[in-house]
Amino acid sequence: MDDSSVAERLVDAVESLSTDHKRGTRPIHTIGVGVDGYFQPSEAARSYCKAEHFQRPCVRASVRFSNGSGSPVQHDGWSDVRGMATRFHLSDGSATDLIAMTLPEFFVPTVDQFFEFARTAKPKPVRRESPWQKILDMLQLKIPRRNPPPGQKESPDAGAKSFADRHRFAQLAVVQTDTIGAPVSYARAAYHAVHTFIVTAPDGVRRPVRFSWQPVAGVCNTKATATAVDNYLRQELEERLGRWPARFMLMMTIGEAGDALDDPTQPWPAKRVRVVMGTLTLKNVAADQVAAAERISFNPCRLVPGIEVSEDPILRARRNVYEVSCQRRNGIPCPFNGS
Amino acid sequence: MPSDKDWFDRFVIGLPERRLFKFLAARILVPFWAWWTPVKPLPGGPHPSAQPGDNLQCMMNLIMPLKDKSAVGRAKAAGAIAANKDQIYAGLNNVGTVHFARFVIVGDNICMFSVYDGDFTNYIRDFIATIGSVFNAVVELVEGGEDVIPCEHNAEAFIEWVHARDLYQVPDTATGVLRDQEALKGDKAASGDDDLDLLPRRLTLQLHANPNVSLGSGYRAYPGYSAAQIRKQLGIGW
Repeated sequence: MDDSSVAERLVDAVESLSTDHKRGTRPIHTIGVGVDGYFQPSEAARSYCKAEHFQRPCVRASVRFSNGSGSPVQHDGWSDVRGMATRFHLSDGSATDLIAMTLPEFFVPTVDQFFEFARTAKPKPVRRESPWQKILDMLQLKIPRRNPPPGQKESPDAGAKSFADRHRFAQLAVVQTDTIGAPVSYARAAYHAVHTFIVTAPDGVRRPVRFSWQPVAGVCNTKATATAVDNYLRQELEERLGRWPARFMLMMTIGEAGDALDDPTQPWPAKRVRVVMGTLTLKNVAADQVAAAERISFNPCRLVPGIEVSEDPILRARRNVYEVSCQRRNGIPCPFNGS
Repeated sequence: MPSDKDWFDRFVIGLPERRLFKFLAARILVPFWAWWTPVKPLPGGPHPSAQPGDNLQCMMNLIMPLKDKSAVGRAKAAGAIAANKDQIYAGLNNVGTVHFARFVIVGDNICMFSVYDGDFTNYIRDFIATIGSVFNAVVELVEGGEDVIPCEHNAEAFIEWVHARDLYQVPDTATGVLRDQEALKGDKAASGDDDLDLLPRRLTLQLHANPNVSLGSGYRAYPGYSAAQIRKQLGIGW
């Protein structure tokens, strides 16, 4: 089977994770907001990566924050993974992307396992646990299932848990998803690029790395017991940026031989060298949201000299998956930088 | 309009915060499950080192119950540390691989918390070789301490003694404690027939068997660097 056929099937599988997915929209991370800003690399970044956005004093950046769901209906207050896709605009008109999410690890290490995961995690009707069942859970020292938020009819959670019971590599991501909550602001969440990339320094040294964005304003979620509000994240961001810019620090962790370099389900030890690569400053919510949040297409494999993909099969598969998805929704095709 | 069923549901959701339920959980549920599904206490100290970076900035969280569980006993311990401060600091300087070390009294325990580079046994061996005679003054105040005094002449026994009192380091990830428990049983399978809903019970029972633990591997401002590298970079020598 060729790569494009696999990509088509992967997009089908991702679309199947939302039963109300609307053709012509993103299969996941459907609801989003585009933001304008700029990125300034740190002094240290210059000696670790020769890519242009780590060498120039400042580059323009476009960011799309999003809710993880593929549903066209907005539910900001539901417990869900959030996305932060960042485009760094370079001097010759080209660009490079960094796609991150609030989930620190992914569910599966290979494409075949993703197909199985998508089959198992197909949304099923949400069953509210009865009070008696909750008591039974407590007696067994289990945490009773949370009541679904108002309006939630289906959920992939039961299927994902059943998959994780059989596959230990998925357990961390499933537990994290179950407890992830909702941020009070897109600017108050940490986002992780999950995969390993290979960066090359000006002196030619190549290093395996993982990137994450840390919010300068700090991480803060809404109260898990509060009634979920459906629509607040975009307005909160507009108000926040109207008062003052929001900032994120780009952290780069350097892996060692023996770390999980090609497996996004496995975390790296906290003792690995961590470098501050720069600061992203968000100025304002983009005026043209059709262009900045809907038609724009990101791709985690849209890279520039100085950054390469690792052997991670999920990362490699995402290149074609994002292209197929872009075509299906008539997005702006993602021009690769001569690769 | 909320129904009786909703009222009952809200009541049940709030149960874990009620005194009666907390009492039942602590006195009946946890002991019952600990008896029905026994859990071995996980060993203390750092996890086995696989990569060079794992050997840097390791933690020791040594909890030593005092023999004299009174203010007088605690004062004796505080006095022993104060009286031997110069010797202890000089010893730690000579070990050379220690980032931080401090003594703390919590409850009726004298605790030593330190961050060091390299292998645990080498750290303790070097430590006791350089300040063993001084450390005897602390160890003699601790339950079971008489078994290893004089420390400087009982290095291997002292290493074991320290290891037994070093806290279990709970992994950084939510599921890490499951992997540690499987490893203790020799279960290294990638897949199993698990029940992820049991994670809270597994963690509770581990904390029942192992009441004092260190949570996660801790924050580091400059992970991946040894004490020697930091000193060299800052030009402060030795």
